[in-house]
Amino acid sequence: MAGRARGRGRGQMTFNVEAVGIAKGDALPPPTLQPSPLFPPLEHRAAPLPGGEEGEYMLALKQELRGAMKGLPYFVKPGAPRRDIERYSDKYQVSSPVDSAIDWNPDWRRLPRELKIRVRRLRKGREWTTILIPKCKQRVALDKDEAIKKLESLEKKEEEVTSEEEEEKEEEEEGKEEEEEEYDEEEHEEETDYIMSYFDNGEDFGADSDDNMDEAVY
Amino acid sequence: MGLGRAWHHRLHPSAVRMTQAEIKLCSLLLQEHFGEIVEKIGTYLIRTGTQPLRIIVNDTGLLLDQVKKALCVLIQHNLVTYQVQKRGFVEYEAQCKRVLRILRYPRYIYTAKTLYNDTGELIVEELLLNGKMTMSAVVRKVADRLTETMEDGKTMDYADVSNTFVRLADTHFVQRCPQVPETPETPEAPPPPAPTLVINEKDMYIVPRLNLVGKGKRRRSCDEDENGERKAKKQKQDGESSEPPPDDGIYWQVNIDRFHQHFRDQGIVSAVANRMDQTSSEIVRTMLRMSEVTTTSSAPHTQPLSSNEIFRSLPAGYNIGKQVLDQYLTLLADDPLEFVGKSGDSGGGMYTVNLHKALASLATATLESIVEERFGSRCARIFRLLLRKKHLEQKQVEDFAMIPAKEAKDMLYKMLSENFVSLQEIPKTPDHAPSRTFYLYTVNVPASARMLLHRCYKSVANLMERRQYETKENKRLLEKSQRVEAILASMQATGAEETQLQEIEEMITAPERQQLETLKRNVNKIDASETQVDETIFVLESFIESTVKRP
Repeated sequence: MAGRARGRGRGQMTFNVEAVGIAKGDALPPPTLQPSPLFPPLEHRAAPLPGGEEGEYMLALKQELRGAMKGLPYFVKPGAPRRDIERYSDKYQVSSPVDSAIDWNPDWRRLPRELKIRVRRLRKGREWTTILIPKCKQRVALDKDEAIKKLESLEKKEEEVTSEEEEEKEEEEEGKEEEEEEYDEEEHEEETDYIMSYFDNGEDFGADSDDNMDEAVY
Repeated sequence: MGLGRAWHHRLHPSAVRMTQAEIKLCSLLLQEHFGEIVEKIGTYLIRTGTQPLRIIVNDTGLLLDQVKKALCVLIQHNLVTYQVQKRGFVEYEAQCKRVLRILRYPRYIYTAKTLYNDTGELIVEELLLNGKMTMSAVVRKVADRLTETMEDGKTMDYADVSNTFVRLADTHFVQRCPQVPETPETPEAPPPPAPTLVINEKDMYIVPRLNLVGKGKRRRSCDEDENGERKAKKQKQDGESSEPPPDDGIYWQVNIDRFHQHFRDQGIVSAVANRMDQTSSEIVRTMLRMSEVTTTSSAPHTQPLSSNEIFRSLPAGYNIGKQVLDQYLTLLADDPLEFVGKSGDSGGGMYTVNLHKALASLATATLESIVEERFGSRCARIFRLLLRKKHLEQKQVEDFAMIPAKEAKDMLYKMLSENFVSLQEIPKTPDHAPSRTFYLYTVNVPASARMLLHRCYKSVANLMERRQYETKENKRLLEKSQRVEAILASMQATGAEETQLQEIEEMITAPERQQLETLKRNVNKIDASETQVDETIFVLESFIESTVKRP
């Protein structure tokens, strides 16, 4: 309706435009043909941020918290990408834990049983609170539908029957891993001749800019 | 895709209530604090509602162990809850609102500091960083942390930390988590797939009787007696972890509702101080303090307090006479903002703080302030006019605001287009003919508050993304700077010469230093802005919550 009577002056509306304040003869703004701009010009500047001691302290707190949380075991890092070739330096790289173990010790009594995972030991001699079976590894790919119920009941049966056997198997595995872990820990905790932060395995070679060629690169 | 799974993909009713802006913000917060894997699962649950484990694994495409780890983390931090369904499987549900509270962690910690000093600050910080902990674990950790900051030879006693913990519990700033029930009713029956955690209201703030004796331990730097120290330390750690702690199974968490109550009270006191004077605000503060544990968090007003009681409870420094107090109370009750109301005449006069009205006033003041900053003071005048007069025609706005027609129309349309004001039609005749209809401008405060809250979520999300972008753009330089810092620190520890240190410092060129300065300034500004917007989010959310009728 609005555009039809263009010949007779301005477009006509279904209601009396004077009621909303458009006087006779006023030009209506042109129609909008595109979405509003991404960064529209600011008519008024934003008020300055409140500074002061409280603001400063909260800022420091916020940034510290962010940093702290990245270092806690709750920050679940994705597995490191598989290297094409095994390198000598891999032993010395501080890589994030990849496998099916959790790095902190939840109170399993408070959690659903289906969530239990092996707890990774961080130090030698630290006591195992639970040795648990990584269940369901084979079941991920299965199609769901009503088989869920069936699986739950099968699981219960399996658990009761085979828990002992699997515990023994786990302990054997643990024994082997302990040796490996021992080895790694000694390597890491001993003072090696090389300081880790200095070590550069050359993978970034060429990626850096060539600006400061005359300065030593550590 | 079989029929069996279809119902899980239907949007859960609670998921529909979450806007895209909220989901986006939750996503960013989870990613920044817990990493991408936890973020993916958290966001999935927020979008789709309640799901069992296998569906989560299937739909997110992540490995089973990754999903399990993530769920453990989310549950530990009170961001996801679980429930055993009648058919025997467990379903997980995300708490979107709780995820948004991550933004407020610094404010909770800072508040604890103002109320209970460094000890209180660290207790709350540890509880937030770890989600939930036993009291013994908190006390030990905080004592160690405080000892680190003390001069050589001094240590923090467990007893001091315990005392502060007890005070936090007494004032409800920390509370006990629901517990695993002690003994199953039928010991012969197979254990349920997940425990049903319970807690009695009256037990929520009861501190277990512990005899925590000890002092904080300093972390040694890796120097001399490393081997001897290490063995001793390991033995100690083994000793500590081999026996269950005396308060095993009793976990504590931060009671964020109590902190919110504190923020609300702060806001009210501050508003009274601005509007009236210091003494009035102290009287209101006293009334709120007296009502702390007797008023539920959603109550529309505090329990009535008699003028006599208030007089007795005024802080020690305030020497105002009883008559003066009564005058102040009358003034407060007569004020059109109605922060304080008079509910009776016994005991010298019964008075309450009108919490819901106060929240509405705070929210409205926020709206006014935003209109002023965004559109200018003349728009703000029109806005305040509409708030006072409720409904006005175009012509009336021009007349009352004393603004020329053309400009008034412009301003009204600008505010209309951004949903700060709305148009209401009042037909004069039953046929609703447009030429015979009143068009009235009005401000719908709850609707505008909701709109603004939605914008706040978007703002914080934008701020976070920009901050992450700035950091990412300068990643290489930041890493270089960190390496140099690390080298400098280790060189200083081993006593390097000044010239050597300077050589290392010069590895960062002057333009690079400039770049780092700029980056730091920008990141700080954005961080401070996020905190600032969260204050507005708090005011608006508190108000909107108070308008929702509870059964």
